[in-house]
Amino acid sequence: MTTPQNKSNKKTSSVEMAVLAILAVVFLVVSLLAQFIVKDADGHYYFTTGADLRGSLGVILAAGLTLVMYSFLYRDNALFKIAENLYVGVALGYMVITITWREALRPEVYDKFFNAPTWGAFREALLYRSVPVILGVLLITRLSRKHGWISRYSYALIIGYGAGVGIPLTTHSFILKQLYAGVAPLQDAIVGKTSPALFSWPWFADVAYPVFLTALVVVGTVAVLFYFFYSIEHKRTGRTFSQVGIFFLMVSFGASFGYTVMGRVSLLIGRVQFLLYEWLKIPK
Amino acid sequence: MSFFKRLTLPLLIVFGIGLLGFAQEFVPHPIAHDFTEAMTTCFKIMGGFAMILGIYSLTHLHVTRIRQQGPGWGYSMFVFLGAGVMIVLGVWNDGVGPLREVSEGKTYFDWGYDYIYVPCQATIFSILAFFMASAAFRTFRARNVAAAMLLIAAVVVMFGRVPVSETVGRWFGTPDVFTNATDFLMNGPNLAAKRGIILGVSLGGLAQSLRILLGIERSYLGGQD
Amino acid sequence: MSSLPLQPRRIDLSRWVIYGLVCLAVLLPYVIYVEMPFTPSKEAKGLYDQLEALKKGDHVLLAFDFDPASQAELRPMGRALLLHCFRKGVIPVVMTFWPNGLNMDKEIIEKTAPEAGKMWSREFKNGRDYVFLGFRPGDTSFILLMGENLKTAFDKDYYQNPTQKLPGLTDVNTLKDMKLVVDLAAGATVQAWIAWGSDRFGFPLGAGTTAVSAPDMYPFLQSRQVVGLLGGLRGAADYEVLLNVNGDGRLGMQAQSFTHLLLVGLILFANVVVFIRWIRGGKD
Repeated sequence: MTTPQNKSNKKTSSVEMAVLAILAVVFLVVSLLAQFIVKDADGHYYFTTGADLRGSLGVILAAGLTLVMYSFLYRDNALFKIAENLYVGVALGYMVITITWREALRPEVYDKFFNAPTWGAFREALLYRSVPVILGVLLITRLSRKHGWISRYSYALIIGYGAGVGIPLTTHSFILKQLYAGVAPLQDAIVGKTSPALFSWPWFADVAYPVFLTALVVVGTVAVLFYFFYSIEHKRTGRTFSQVGIFFLMVSFGASFGYTVMGRVSLLIGRVQFLLYEWLKIPK
Repeated sequence: MSFFKRLTLPLLIVFGIGLLGFAQEFVPHPIAHDFTEAMTTCFKIMGGFAMILGIYSLTHLHVTRIRQQGPGWGYSMFVFLGAGVMIVLGVWNDGVGPLREVSEGKTYFDWGYDYIYVPCQATIFSILAFFMASAAFRTFRARNVAAAMLLIAAVVVMFGRVPVSETVGRWFGTPDVFTNATDFLMNGPNLAAKRGIILGVSLGGLAQSLRILLGIERSYLGGQD
Repeated sequence: MSSLPLQPRRIDLSRWVIYGLVCLAVLLPYVIYVEMPFTPSKEAKGLYDQLEALKKGDHVLLAFDFDPASQAELRPMGRALLLHCFRKGVIPVVMTFWPNGLNMDKEIIEKTAPEAGKMWSREFKNGRDYVFLGFRPGDTSFILLMGENLKTAFDKDYYQNPTQKLPGLTDVNTLKDMKLVVDLAAGATVQAWIAWGSDRFGFPLGAGTTAVSAPDMYPFLQSRQVVGLLGGLRGAADYEVLLNVNGDGRLGMQAQSFTHLLLVGLILFANVVVFIRWIRGGKD
């Protein structure tokens, strides 16, 4: 049954289809003009496919996909979903060909076993690469419910090695060096330098400010660590110190938000530059 | 056979290999270097097979959706259209075949990557700029002291990290004021908080690595049969 | 069976106004040029100085660990670093742990080498003046292997040439032979390069990250585990200014400025309105 609201939605949908059709025609016309109409030295315009027809068609396709993706800002629609799924499919195909075959299995397995230049090279491949190949095949058994237990041996090797190697390196790089860096500036600021006159501008710049900043960083680091320490209840002084940690975290999150905005805007600028300089061929 | 199905042997492997991996950091003998080389060559080969797991998962998701005619199943056909075309182009490889590389120039496979994959992936993430602007306008409020600090830090950094801040600073005779304020925030409170997070995460990671080596953490092995 | 009446579609004006303003802020700088000089940051200068101090024939490893999603920020950095290497006569050795960016990395090098050739009237040849090693999986353990034996880690380059025979890799056997390593990272690979690479093998490490990840690098900058940092599109612009070349980084700074001004204005406007209402005793 057609209600007035149904009728208005149907009408809206027809309007959307008409707008879409007009936009598609405009897009095609603009693309053809931008990509295939060139100006010669005398100022005359003429049509040419140019030296790179494939590239020009590719740019038109890329621009079309870009604008279809941006249609999501209006609302989720069929064109966006088609483009999104096409992208997922292309990514899948790329993964199969480039990542799995060209960069992994072909050079490491096929070339070493089936393209070995000498019998000695083949023997070496058999000796040193058979076990990793077998372990790699065992990884795939994870997909089977009945035989998935076989993949544990491959995972045990990967996880065990990663955990073992990670302990000394993490301790050295992310704990000890960071702790040292927390207080090292104090040493740099105070020890081994000729002290400038107290309360002079060089004293503020070379001694007071670095000491203040280092103290601020040390207090902040400890406060943040204390905030995340849930094994004891944060009462009275502990609660105040934990609040200090929260303030440091808030400033850090604010800074991260500012940088995140910068990052997202940069991505938008990148696409706009593509549309302006590569699609519409506006001179830089 | 049931012995091999149990977790005992894999856990022993984890402990043994982990101990060797730990020890090789402190052993200067060439055998430690050979061990590292052997292990990483092994992982290089296993990495290729691991990709197959990811490919299967994605394929299985969309095949199931098509088979069961779940919501949006028609769109899943485009996944296989895109994948099929790319695989065919990759295998054909401009007539050279999958066993050799094209010596120069771009293939049709490269074309698919450059003009479908790259713009789609780049655009999907760039849409976030609009959502971020809209969300910031609607929800970013200084409701309390902590939120106010977050807001002030965000505004100072957003303004201080773009060239217009130096231009504005020049009008007031201090071109570096906003840049210096941003530097102070980044090298002071931000550094302190990030360092605290790094230390906390690293200590947690260390504890987790020890749990894995000692067999306390077993979730990666998928449970006992 | 009766169906529920469809609701008329409601148009959210404020959302469209904001989207329109963002579009305007990004597009306007490409129509109206406003001079906005800026001083490169200390972090970018740190990385620039490190590369500038190298001699002709030294080797620099550039890890292009990003995919097309982050290309707007990291691709200009990659180009700028390559140009700097070519200008100095330093040999850039490029590789990646991110398979989805492999074709893009190849394009960056293959476009930048001829561009540099035009700038400095020289020919930069693959295999001699620059090397593209391609992709390998597994960042952490692979960095260890590169540190022990680079030519085992990459027995062939991307173009299937044996690395043992490449003139560009003469006298380079491990990561220790690299005078500088720069990781352009969309993810957390910088931390892997720090722990498994620079702290273990002792080479200087620089970082170029997306703006989202840049705040996380400051502890490593302060501890000198990272010698310099390029953060986001601004980092790329800083490097281009130091190098005195034009590029997408510098080109995007105006749009970045306008958009940030808009966002700061919107946030402050919204908070001022709320504050005024609060003073008047109204509801938020």
